[in-house]
Amino acid sequence: MIELKDVTVRYPNGVVGLDNVSLTIPDGQFVVVVGLSGAGKSTLIRTINGLVPVTEGSLVVDGVEVAGASNRKLRDVRSSIGMIFQSFNLVKRTSVMNNVMMGQMHGIPAYRSLFGAWTAEEKEIAFQSLERVGIVEKAWTRASQLSGGQQQRVAIARALAQDPKVMLADEPVASLDPPTAQMVMKDLQRINRDLSITTLVNLHFLDLARQFGDRVIGMRAGKVVFDGTGAEADDSVFEDIYGRSLTADDVLPGKA
Amino acid sequence: MSAETKAAPTKTPRPQEPGKARATIGAIVLVLLVIGGGYFSNADWSKFPDVFTEGWRYFYLMLKGIVQNPFSEPYSEYWTQAFNGMLESISMAWIGTMIGAAISIPMGFLAARNVSHPVVVQVTRVFLNIIRTLPELVFAIILLLPIFGFGPNAGALALGIGAVGTLGKLTAEALEGIDPGPVEAARAAGAPGSAILRWTYWSQVLPEVLAFWLYRFEINIRASAILGVIGAGGIGSVLSQAFRYREWDFIGILLLVIIVVTVIVDSISGAVRHRIIAGTAIKDKDIDTQPVGL
Amino acid sequence: MTVASAAPAPARPRKPAPSRVLIGGLVAVAAITAWAAWEIDFELTSLFENFSNGWVVVEQFLHPNWSYLGNAGTAWMETISIAIVASFFGVAVGLVFAYMASQVTNRSTKLYRVTKWFLSVLRSLPDIAYVLIFVALVGVGSLAGILALFIFNIGIAAKLTAETIDAVEPGPLEAADASGSGTFARARWAVQPQILPNFLSYALYIFELNIRSSVVIGYAGGGGIGQLIQVQFARFNYENVSAIVISMFVVVLIIDQVSQYLRRRLV
Repeated sequence: MIELKDVTVRYPNGVVGLDNVSLTIPDGQFVVVVGLSGAGKSTLIRTINGLVPVTEGSLVVDGVEVAGASNRKLRDVRSSIGMIFQSFNLVKRTSVMNNVMMGQMHGIPAYRSLFGAWTAEEKEIAFQSLERVGIVEKAWTRASQLSGGQQQRVAIARALAQDPKVMLADEPVASLDPPTAQMVMKDLQRINRDLSITTLVNLHFLDLARQFGDRVIGMRAGKVVFDGTGAEADDSVFEDIYGRSLTADDVLPGKA
Repeated sequence: MSAETKAAPTKTPRPQEPGKARATIGAIVLVLLVIGGGYFSNADWSKFPDVFTEGWRYFYLMLKGIVQNPFSEPYSEYWTQAFNGMLESISMAWIGTMIGAAISIPMGFLAARNVSHPVVVQVTRVFLNIIRTLPELVFAIILLLPIFGFGPNAGALALGIGAVGTLGKLTAEALEGIDPGPVEAARAAGAPGSAILRWTYWSQVLPEVLAFWLYRFEINIRASAILGVIGAGGIGSVLSQAFRYREWDFIGILLLVIIVVTVIVDSISGAVRHRIIAGTAIKDKDIDTQPVGL
Repeated sequence: MTVASAAPAPARPRKPAPSRVLIGGLVAVAAITAWAAWEIDFELTSLFENFSNGWVVVEQFLHPNWSYLGNAGTAWMETISIAIVASFFGVAVGLVFAYMASQVTNRSTKLYRVTKWFLSVLRSLPDIAYVLIFVALVGVGSLAGILALFIFNIGIAAKLTAETIDAVEPGPLEAADASGSGTFARARWAVQPQILPNFLSYALYIFELNIRSSVVIGYAGGGGIGQLIQVQFARFNYENVSAIVISMFVVVLIIDQVSQYLRRRLV
């Protein structure tokens, strides 16, 4: 369970990322967060795993207070929260296997990780994670040789290898073409269903949000302005969230 | 880990881990090279522990020299000699840089493929390469000391000749990297060759070239110490004298002066370089990583 | 010109006065140059007066004693060996310092500052100063050369590599942080793969530098080809020095080519 109570995030340059946000996300829910860029979607997600520090309020993930936690403790919290990024954030010059290993690095002692001496068990976990996203055959390929969709799946496998309780995805399909975007979203949904991992996804395509979100949270100027089911989120709701009328850019091209 | 307990969808065959033969062979070759190097260098490794045993003793002596009252004899004399030597070294480096910069401008134009005739380019490049290969020390000992005698004048000239090699090459590369648009525009307007060189080529490379000069100045300060050891004056000459007589307290003072003054000059020169190239496309690092022979 | 006739020309913008920084800079450069020239008694008249002195030497140089090249073989072996050992250990230790000298990989600001400061001290001394120090510690010979170049290489390798670390793609770092990786794992798996090609090319560059500085090293007592030059020069055997210098030319050229080839394959 993720619980935010009156969370405010203010960046060092004075910009307010989150403005007094309170939310409760129960275990196993698939939540889609929508809003314009700069509305605070990204801040919300990064605050949950402590990449962005909380200025005021309390944030509890799985019973652990994240606000004001020490570096050591933050690392522990993060190890049980998988994260997926818009630009995949793979190390392109090394193998898929080593990239997926990053997910388990938290539990591997430095003397072994420095030399890349993975145990058979660790490799098996990596293989299983890759299996879940269907690219186990690429395990020893260099990450730079994969297509965008494949890279994002490796990134999902990397998060899965953490054996996470929560999965955060920051615009995971924004850099992908529409059919690939559908596939990656389906992967995320299947993983959420199969492993009952609480999932938070930032999206800006409203059709994807409706299609996949058990729950849709709308954000504007750091505040939650909508919180309901995917079915409730019709066009007028989105116009309200975006503060403008909808355009063709707001839906996944090739589908609308 | 609980990943095993959660049933994986279907067990697909695991891909074979690629062999590590190449990496292993590479590592073995490298290790053999290093061991072979350690052997064939004829280094007397049995003396290696002296670094620590003797090192501490000498380090202590050097520190002792530094903390003595600098106005008492002979320490006031030491400090004066150190600062005078350093000033002479910096002057040598500065004049050397000026000479090198002045000569490298025409050399750079002659060696730029988009400026000069291919034959001229080749001849100039070979000439610049010869200079770059030979250390300043060689110019100094074969040509300059017999003509100018021992002293900083010969040193400055040696640094100047040495600087021509790198500065000429870097200038030529900068010229080859300019935006050809303005050149075309100037040609189209019927501008004479000299005006094109001055106002399209030179204007575009000036900040970069100035930065190279300053960087070369920083290198020349270090190189001047080297020339000093063979008798070109400056801090190098003072330093090698001190080492000859093993005056460790004096050596300590000399090293401290070299370090402090060099760090100060480096940071001034670095700040000026940053200012000059701020706003141009080149980065400081592009200059610093140029293979300039020290 | 046909422009002038009709309406009176609108006011022309005045040419801006040259900036004070520029004027100040030019005055400073002129003053420093004049002072420096005076400080070292700069003159070129000797070039004309004593040119014959130099020419005598040059003439001997033009007749290299090729038979002496046989003696240079062992000295070259020594120089190359010194360069290999010193660059290997220098860049290895330099890599560790590079990680400590970048805020990307070093989370402790204090340790970062101390490392930066230490490295700039290390780099401020010329290689010859290190040779003199180690000759005093372990005596004349290759060991002094190896140790001097080793220390010298740490400074360069650490500086170049730290700058590369500063510029790595931040994405993988964020991913490493988000998965709770420790400092070492993050440096090893999110940073090192990104900097490896550059690092190896710096290692080759440093090896080249070490070969080039062999004359200096040997001259001050650090063994290798420089020592041979020093001995022959002290005996005024310019024909022999000339042969060595030519061999140096060839060796540097070959090593340049090989390392260029390796570098192209790396990047």
